[in-house]
Amino acid sequence: MMFRKKFVLFFGFVLFVTVAGAQDRYFTKTGKINFTSKAPMEDIEGKNKTVTAVLDTKSGALQFSVQMKSFEFEKALMQQHFNENYVESDKYPDAVFKGVIANNAAVNYAKEGTYTVNVKGKLTLHNVTKDVDVPGTIKVNGGKIEASSAFNVLLSDFRISIPSAVKEKVSNSIRITVETKLDPLKG
Amino acid sequence: MKRRILLGIIAFVLVVGLVGAYFYFKQTPDIVQDKPHAAVQAKDLLAAFEQDTAAARRQYIDKVVEVTGVVKRVDTSGAVVLGDETSPSEVVIGLDRRHMKDYESLKIGSVAVMQGICSGYAKSSSDPTDLLASLGTTVQLRSAGVKSKQ
Repeated sequence: MMFRKKFVLFFGFVLFVTVAGAQDRYFTKTGKINFTSKAPMEDIEGKNKTVTAVLDTKSGALQFSVQMKSFEFEKALMQQHFNENYVESDKYPDAVFKGVIANNAAVNYAKEGTYTVNVKGKLTLHNVTKDVDVPGTIKVNGGKIEASSAFNVLLSDFRISIPSAVKEKVSNSIRITVETKLDPLKG
Repeated sequence: MKRRILLGIIAFVLVVGLVGAYFYFKQTPDIVQDKPHAAVQAKDLLAAFEQDTAAARRQYIDKVVEVTGVVKRVDTSGAVVLGDETSPSEVVIGLDRRHMKDYESLKIGSVAVMQGICSGYAKSSSDPTDLLASLGTTVQLRSAGVKSKQ
């Protein structure tokens, strides 16, 4: 009888830990990342609707995986140039960000609200890894978490060179916007 | 004679300019109803990348692929996820800008036929520091939409 009680208690504890542990992590596979290049000649915009991201609310750890070929453009030539000349997506198919919300303690994931955060980590793009430190927003709403950010990167930082013939059309500074709606990750 | 040469040069410049402008302004095509390079079940597409990544890359990446599978999630801002409830592995489909409302005809749990360009994959890893490790295999399609029955 005693053994049984202990067993039930133990089992209950394991279940609690498992469930509680599982609820720490939130994910999406349909996050959005857009980039825009504003230059005197023309604006270029690429949209990716299938970004994978996981946030561990306990530690603040954050990871993104972006398939470069999943960016969509309005103009066929831009799509081609982006993949073949700039990011060389056959050689370097994905971009990865691994980082952490530096002020994670400032976010109450149990309470609805919008929190301003600071994200630090390493961004690997075009086979070049750089430290990045960007502002972001965490919105807790109805059991879901929305994580967003907007920042600039310099193409030259990632050894992406712009041919001199199109220097007027492509800006070296690219605006990146990130929008993700994260669901609890089960299992 | 001189006039002819001049006219010839003008005509040449005009043709080159027009061809250039055509390629410059050409929109990315809507391929949702095109004849696909391959038609495959979502689970078979995932299995192909899991079993022999190099072969699957050659067969599918950058190609127009028709995928049939059960709708698992819908993102109303432009994406559809096909997959099985029992597995974390999924085919994740970004909708083409001309097909952004295609998700409206889909029902979660029912079978859909989608077509797009296969644009990437990620395999589950065993790296303990990888937060994405438990997400299974993901194969992506871009510029996609719901294929209407012919």
